[in-house]
Amino acid sequence: MPKLSSIFYYGVHPSELRSIIQWKVWHNPVHERDESKECETLKQCFFYLDMTSRSFAAVIKELHPELLVPVCLFYLVLRALDTIEDDMTIPLEKKEPLLREFDTVLEKDGWTFTENGPNEKDRELCVHFDVVIEEFKKIKPAYKAIIKDITKKMGNGMADYVNNAEHNIHSVNTIKDYELYCHYVAGLVGEGCTRLFVEAGLANPALLQKPELMESMGQFLQQVNIMRDIKEDFDDKRRFYPKEIWSKHVDKFEDLFKPENQQAALNCTSEMILISLQRADECLYYLAGIKEQSVFNFCAIPQAMAIATMEECFRNPNVYKTNVKISKGQACQLMVDSTQNLQMVCDTFRKYARKISKKNNPKDPNFLNISIACGKIEQFIESIFPTQKSKGGAKLISAEQEAKEKAEAGEARQDTIYMGLAVFLTLFVITGFMVTIAWFAGARFDIAFGQIRNTLFGSGFAGNDLPTNENLKNALTPEHGEL
Amino acid sequence: MALSSSQVPSPGHVLVTGGCGFLGHHIVDLLLERHPQTRVSVLDLRTTSNRSSNPNVSYYDGDLTDKDATKALFQKLKPEVVIHTASPHHTAKNEILFKVNVDGTKALLEVSQETGVKAFVHTSSASVIHNPEEELVNADETYPLIAGKEQPEYYTSTKVWAESAVLAANRTPASFLTCAIRPAGIFGEGDVQLLPKMLSAYFKGQHKFQIGENQNLFDFTYVKNVAHAHLLAVVALLTTHKKLPSIPLDTERVDGEAFLVTNGQPVYFWDFPRQAWKEAGNTLPIESVWHLSFGTMMVVGSLLELACWLLGKTPNLNRQQVQYSCWTRYYNIDKAKRRLGYKPIVPLEEGIKRGVRYILEQREKEANGVAAKKNL
Repeated sequence: MPKLSSIFYYGVHPSELRSIIQWKVWHNPVHERDESKECETLKQCFFYLDMTSRSFAAVIKELHPELLVPVCLFYLVLRALDTIEDDMTIPLEKKEPLLREFDTVLEKDGWTFTENGPNEKDRELCVHFDVVIEEFKKIKPAYKAIIKDITKKMGNGMADYVNNAEHNIHSVNTIKDYELYCHYVAGLVGEGCTRLFVEAGLANPALLQKPELMESMGQFLQQVNIMRDIKEDFDDKRRFYPKEIWSKHVDKFEDLFKPENQQAALNCTSEMILISLQRADECLYYLAGIKEQSVFNFCAIPQAMAIATMEECFRNPNVYKTNVKISKGQACQLMVDSTQNLQMVCDTFRKYARKISKKNNPKDPNFLNISIACGKIEQFIESIFPTQKSKGGAKLISAEQEAKEKAEAGEARQDTIYMGLAVFLTLFVITGFMVTIAWFAGARFDIAFGQIRNTLFGSGFAGNDLPTNENLKNALTPEHGEL
Repeated sequence: MALSSSQVPSPGHVLVTGGCGFLGHHIVDLLLERHPQTRVSVLDLRTTSNRSSNPNVSYYDGDLTDKDATKALFQKLKPEVVIHTASPHHTAKNEILFKVNVDGTKALLEVSQETGVKAFVHTSSASVIHNPEEELVNADETYPLIAGKEQPEYYTSTKVWAESAVLAANRTPASFLTCAIRPAGIFGEGDVQLLPKMLSAYFKGQHKFQIGENQNLFDFTYVKNVAHAHLLAVVALLTTHKKLPSIPLDTERVDGEAFLVTNGQPVYFWDFPRQAWKEAGNTLPIESVWHLSFGTMMVVGSLLELACWLLGKTPNLNRQQVQYSCWTRYYNIDKAKRRLGYKPIVPLEEGIKRGVRYILEQREKEANGVAAKKNL
């Protein structure tokens, strides 16, 4: 049963309700998993995928059959690694070597891990990790090599971080530290996925030549999650906001949550959003390198959700109170739009960039830089999908030409005047000529004028000397006859 | 192309026209900062303001339109490089605009051609591709130049004609190389148009309004970045000059070419003045700013124009300003990046900070001056 509050919400946001219906009714997966052909262990793997992932399970299950299982296993391996890293009940001496050697675990038949604390939400996956290992054996060696390589790099990175965290309260001091952490937990995922896509022939190999793009894909998602999850992480005694950023706004990290520091806290969120927003153009650039629809959807949906989440959290004080989420309707709209093509995703990014700019506030120390970051997204989109075409090659009017044209226009005007004068003059001469001839011939103009005066002002005015109508007729008729 | 004075050979003797003007004096300063030993000559109508204290700079009063006098000066100085920034204020009379921008530039070109100048860098304007009918969205150098009857701004027409003359003179003679820089919306210390206008609106309390939705991107360029682009162009022309008579590849060529130059950071139009007002101390919350629609303001603008026309005054707001504040106008500067190695050296935020600080200091000086006079 839907909650009363959501009935009310969608009552006033009918377009969002429409999006939900549109997504539920009309979305056809590009590829569908064929459960009938799956063995028991693979079914189990998908069971754990559903269990451990909220957002990724759906897009993974719609992936191209070539990559469906490798990506699912890649996800489960990293999820298990993350579960071990996150678990504060495992002592460092045990955790560190485990993280560093996790890639070798993938080769150990029947390996499971039961020492996670009881509250660790994904502990079941580790307890039954043997099913993942079983399926891992069956995938192509090229995919295995990629997954192992990334697991090794990520395990080592996490171990470094955990080690550091143990000795240092502010485990993330600088923005550089922060981006390094995000590199280990997300940038590497971007790398692994990209290598899998290229290996399967579903993405442009040029993506591997531009590693900053796949790095940005991961960083963008991870940074948004960290920014949004500040309250949840704080309650779990974890801090990922770099000190370099929050210390500009408050003295102590916990002060961010105090109502009297709301402005400072909002400015702090803005700065976190700014550093991820600056990568948005690279994410769009990356998406341009994807060749297959299901892979495109897999990459684009989370990115679109991320920029919408950013907009939702931007200048929103609730970030420090609850876990701010975009509405379900908005999410469905984003899914509809990001499962079409790059241009639609670009439109979504531009829409959210503009929404962010509308909320932007000059009080914010990063006011101008946020405007610049939004402008950068728009300009990048223009560079791949121009809305305006150059009308190059139009003929330039030179100064001489302009002057000549002006002179010509002047001449033309003079010509018209002369022409008018000439016509007038000719008419005048001809009229004069005719009148003179008529006069020589004896025309009585005095009578004619008198007649005109007569008709105009009445006969009373005309005077007695003037001939009557009858006379006039007599006077004029013979001449007419002669002429 | 990284620029540090040790890497880049000295450009030799550089003559800067308009070197006491807003952009010109920034070019002189940057040139001396990078090449303290280089010889600089400034030719300007009046050389009293914005003078450098560096002994390597000499100042010459002169009128560009007087070709004989300019030629005599060039024969005496024998400059190797000319940076031509001189141009009247865009509100000057049409005759003056034409005389200085078109005739003056042509005379300067001829003198340079006759006296063995190697490189000629001309300050054009991004407005040369302004179309009164259309917005400019990520516009680049392939956009057509608009002059004459299609161009309502006579200033812009004269800039188009000047630029065309400069580029046409390239490689005539073969050892004479030219190019043009087209900056968009220059601001900074000593700026007499952009920031002073925006701040005076603030001082008069006219910052409580916003016209339009503020979804239109606009380019503004800090003056030092424009100066930097000019110097990069000088270096590029001199490098090409050394390799004469060979002609660089079309995709690398600088001589005979025009380059759009901005800060590479287009922002939503109103965000620029907002930032400037904030720097000037504005604390008015954004929530209390009035948002006026484009349509309403076009009507208001035309009414003001009419009223002021009847009274014989210039209106504070006209339709063109309304249109400008609602139009998208930003540029693609990839060509300058690729061929000149241009990259802005001062970000927008820092530029605004410096420009506003300068104006506030000037105001303070003026206020002190008035106070001092009163005390006397």
